[in-house]
Amino acid sequence: MNIKKIFLKTFLMPLNLETKLRLIWIQGVTCNANIHSFLNLPSLPSLLSNIDMVYHPSLECSYTLEEITLLETSCDVLIFEGAYDPLLKRNDVLVKDILEYYSKNTKYVIALGSCASFGGIFKASAPERNSGLIFNEKEEYGPLLDSKTKVINLSGCPIHPEWLSYTLNMIISKREVLLDKLHRPLELYSNLAHHGCTRNEYFEWKIDTKGFGEKEGCMFYEQGCRGPVTHASCNKILWNEVSSKTRVGTPCFGCTEPDFPRSNLYSTKTNMSIPQEVPLGVPKRAYLTVTGITKTFSIKRLEGKLIDYKTTD
Amino acid sequence: MARITKEERKSIIVLSALKLFSQKGFYTTTIPDIAKNVGMSVGSFYNYFTSKDLLAKELVLFISEYLGKRIRKINEEDISTEEKISKIVSMYFDMVEEKPEMIEYFLRVYLSNREIFGEECKGMICVSSFVTEMMIFFDEGVECGKLHNQDFFSAFGLFMGYLGGMAFLHGEEILPESLNEYKKNISENIFNALKSRN
Amino acid sequence: MITKQLIDQIEGEASVYFDMKNEKVSFSTIAFPHFRGIENILKGKDALDALVITPRVCGICGHAHLLASVRAIEDAYKNAGYEVQLSTKAKKIREFTLVMEIIQNHLKWVYMVLMPELSKLRNSDEESRVLKGAYGASLATKAIALLGGQWPHSSYMIPGGITSDPTYIEILQAQSLLKDLIQFFEKESLGVNLDDFLAYKTSKDLSSGKADVSKIVEYLLELGMQEKGLAYDRFVVLGSHLFTKPIRMKQTRPFSVDVKHVSTVKSYSPNEKTYARNAMYKDDYYEVGSLSRMMSLQIPLIKNIHRRYKDSAYSRVLARIYELAHLMKYANELLSSVSITENSYNKPAPIEKITASGVGIVEAPRGPLIHKITIEKGMIKNYEIITPTQWNIGSSSKNKLTPVQKTMLGNTKNEALFIFRTFDVCSVCTTH
Repeated sequence: MNIKKIFLKTFLMPLNLETKLRLIWIQGVTCNANIHSFLNLPSLPSLLSNIDMVYHPSLECSYTLEEITLLETSCDVLIFEGAYDPLLKRNDVLVKDILEYYSKNTKYVIALGSCASFGGIFKASAPERNSGLIFNEKEEYGPLLDSKTKVINLSGCPIHPEWLSYTLNMIISKREVLLDKLHRPLELYSNLAHHGCTRNEYFEWKIDTKGFGEKEGCMFYEQGCRGPVTHASCNKILWNEVSSKTRVGTPCFGCTEPDFPRSNLYSTKTNMSIPQEVPLGVPKRAYLTVTGITKTFSIKRLEGKLIDYKTTD
Repeated sequence: MARITKEERKSIIVLSALKLFSQKGFYTTTIPDIAKNVGMSVGSFYNYFTSKDLLAKELVLFISEYLGKRIRKINEEDISTEEKISKIVSMYFDMVEEKPEMIEYFLRVYLSNREIFGEECKGMICVSSFVTEMMIFFDEGVECGKLHNQDFFSAFGLFMGYLGGMAFLHGEEILPESLNEYKKNISENIFNALKSRN
Repeated sequence: MITKQLIDQIEGEASVYFDMKNEKVSFSTIAFPHFRGIENILKGKDALDALVITPRVCGICGHAHLLASVRAIEDAYKNAGYEVQLSTKAKKIREFTLVMEIIQNHLKWVYMVLMPELSKLRNSDEESRVLKGAYGASLATKAIALLGGQWPHSSYMIPGGITSDPTYIEILQAQSLLKDLIQFFEKESLGVNLDDFLAYKTSKDLSSGKADVSKIVEYLLELGMQEKGLAYDRFVVLGSHLFTKPIRMKQTRPFSVDVKHVSTVKSYSPNEKTYARNAMYKDDYYEVGSLSRMMSLQIPLIKNIHRRYKDSAYSRVLARIYELAHLMKYANELLSSVSITENSYNKPAPIEKITASGVGIVEAPRGPLIHKITIEKGMIKNYEIITPTQWNIGSSSKNKLTPVQKTMLGNTKNEALFIFRTFDVCSVCTTH
C-alpha cells in the first residue's frame, strides 16, 4: 500500500468505520415504558446507527431471547430495565444469572428507570427481595454493588429518551460521565424539576393553585408537587419536546428519587399548614421567614387569570 | 470609657421608649420626652429614628426578635414537645413579670392601634421572627407525632391567645396569684389541647 | 407431541405449547410467566394514587389504564352520592389523548410486529420498517404530551376532569402534528388519501395504493390468511366513548352487553404455571379489539371484508389498519370541536368522604379494559383489573377453546404463530 493510501486510511477514516457500541438490553420486573419512551427519541435512527444491537426486547437485534439466555456473547454496554428480583426468570433462565454473566465483561451497566435504580414501583411486587441494581431505595444494596463503579443510574418513571441518548453518546464519544452520589449523571440530574416550570412566579409569591385545571398557581403548597425537591431536567429538556407534567397542571411526583412512589401523591404533606419538606437545601427557618413575608403581600396581577376568555369575547 | 455603638444606643432608646409608653401611654409620650430620658438632643434622636411611627414599628420588630430568639433556643433543645411548651410559657410569663413594658406595648399599642403601623407592618411581617419560631415549634411537634395536625392558625391562636389573655389579666391586676403560680397548669392545658389525638 | 414455543416482543413474553398432528396444530395452551401483583400493591393506598400506579401496568397503553382508573373512581363517587360533573371539554380532551394512544399502538404494531412477522412467514428479506413505526408513533405521542404533559405515563386525568388548561396554541400544535401524521401515513402506509382510503367499499380496493398496506394485503392473500385464523365470529365492545359504544355481536347481529356479565376464570396451562386468567362474557369467549370495534360501527369496507372472509386473520389485520385511518380522521374532528373556555376541572367532594365501589371501562388499543375499585373513606380496599388480552389470549381446556386457541387450529406451527400475533398481544397487561 503506498504512503498516500496509508495516510488516508489512518487519518481520514470516517467515524462509521469505527467499531459500533455493542449493546444488550435486558429486563427485570418492568412495564416496558422505558422502551416506549426511548422509541420517541427524534434522533433514534442516527443513534442506532452507532450501536450494534446485540439484544433488545423489541427493536431489531442479532440474538433472539432464547439465544441471549444461553450466556455466550458479550457487550460494551448492558442496559437493565425494571426492578431486580432474584427469583425472576426469562425463558426459564434466572435473570440473576443473565445479569451476573453480562455485567462481568461489560464496561458500563445502565440501570434504566427508577425500578432498576432504586426499586421504584415494582419493588412493591416483592418488597422483601426486590431492589435496584446498586440501591434499595436509598440504601446501598443490590446485585451489582461490588461492581458499582460500572453502574450509571438513569432514574425516572419512565426515563426521558434524551437522558439515555446523552448517556450512550457520552460513552460512544469516550467522555467520562460525571455522577452524583446516587450514580446519576450530574449533567442530567443537577437541575430540579422546579427549574423552568411555567408556574415559577406563583411559587415566588406563594400563590396556590385553587384545586386543579388552572394555568395559574403553584402546586407546591397543596397539590403535592415535588418539583422543588426532585432532581430531574423535565422542565429543561421538555417531554416529547413540548411539555412537562407541571406545565399541564399535574404535580411532579418525584419519580427520579429513591423514595418514589410516596403516598398521597396529589396532596402536600403539611404539619400545621407548614410544608413538611421545603425546597432542597433551604433551611426551614429561612423558608418560613421568606414565605411569611411574601404571603403578606397580594399582587393583583398574579391573583387573576392570565387570560380571561369570558370578558375578552 | 468604651464608646457605645450605634446599635447599642438604638437598644437603649428602644427600651426607654417602651418604658415611657408603658407609663404615660403611646399618644401622650413625645419624641422630646424620650430623647430627654436617654440624655440626647432631639436632633440626635432623629439620626436614629426619623419619626415616631418608624420608632413604633422598630419596637415591634425588637420585641418579636426578643421573643423569637428565646423560642428558638427552646426549639433547639433536645427535650420533649411537652417540655418545650412548659419552657415557652415560662419564658413568656417571666418576660411579663420582669419586662412588663414589652408585652404591654404589644397588647396595648401594636394590637390596639393598627392605624399607626399602616402598610409597613401588614399581616405578620413585623412579627416574623417570632411567628417563624412558633411555626418551627408546631412543625416539629406534628412531625414527631406529639401534636395533632391541624391548620396553623387554630393552633397558633390557641397558644398565643391564651398567653396574651393571661398577660392582659395580669396587667389589669385581676389575677390573685403571681403569673409564676399559673405556669404549670397553663402549660398542661395547652399541651392537652394541642396534643395528638390517636 | 407437545412442543413449546417462546414468544417474545409482545410487551413481555408468553409460551405457547403446541399439540401437533400431521404437522398441524390440534390443540394449544398458552402460559404467561410473569406476575407483578399490582392489584395487591394498590390495596391500602389512597384512591388517587391509583392514577399514578395503574398506568405502570403497561408502558404502551398506560394512558388507557389512567382513564379506566379515573372512571372507576368517578363511578365510586357517583355510587356514594357525590356524582362528579365533567365538562364536555374535559371529556373530549381525555378522549383525544386516548385515541392518540391507540393510534401510536397500532402504528408500532404494523411496523414492528406485523411486517416483520409477514417477512418471517414468507421467508423473504424485506427492508426494515421498524423505525418508521417509531417515528409515526412519536408524532402521536407528542400530541398527547401537549395536553397531558408527557407520554408514557401521564397522570393528567383526575376525578372532576383534567389538570391541564390548554390554549389554542396547544390545540393548533396538536392539529398540526396530526396533519403531519396523516400525511406520513398516507405516503408510507396507504398510498392514497386518507379520505379515499376510508371510502373504500370492497376489499379489492385495498390493492389500489402502492404502499405498505397494499403490500400487506398482497402478502396476506398469498399466505391464505383470508381463510385462516377464524375464531367464533363474535365480538364485544365495552368501553363507552364518543367514538365507540358498548355492544355485543354474533356475526353481524347486535345484542345488549353489560359489564356485570363479565367474569374471569383460571387459565388452563398444564405444561407451565401461568399467571393469566381468561375473561369471559356469560360463560362464552368473545373477541375484542379493533375488529370488534370496526364491526360495531357498520363500516362498508369492514362489512364487505367480513362478508367475504369472516373473522379471519386477514380481517383482523385489516380492521386494525382501518381503525388507524378511522381514528386519525376522528381525532382531528374531535380536536376542532373542543371549546377551551369551558372548565377543565369541576372540584368534586374530598376523596376522604367516599366509601363506595366503582367500575371504569375503557376501549384500550387491544379491547375493553375494566378497572373495579372499592374505596373506604378515600383509601383503596380492593382493586381488580381485567385487560383485553385476557379476552383474546385466554388458555382453556379442549371443551371450550378461547378465541386465540380456536384461530390456531389446523395450521402449521409457523402459521399459528403468525395468527397469534394478529391479535396484538400484551403480556404485561395480561398478568399485571
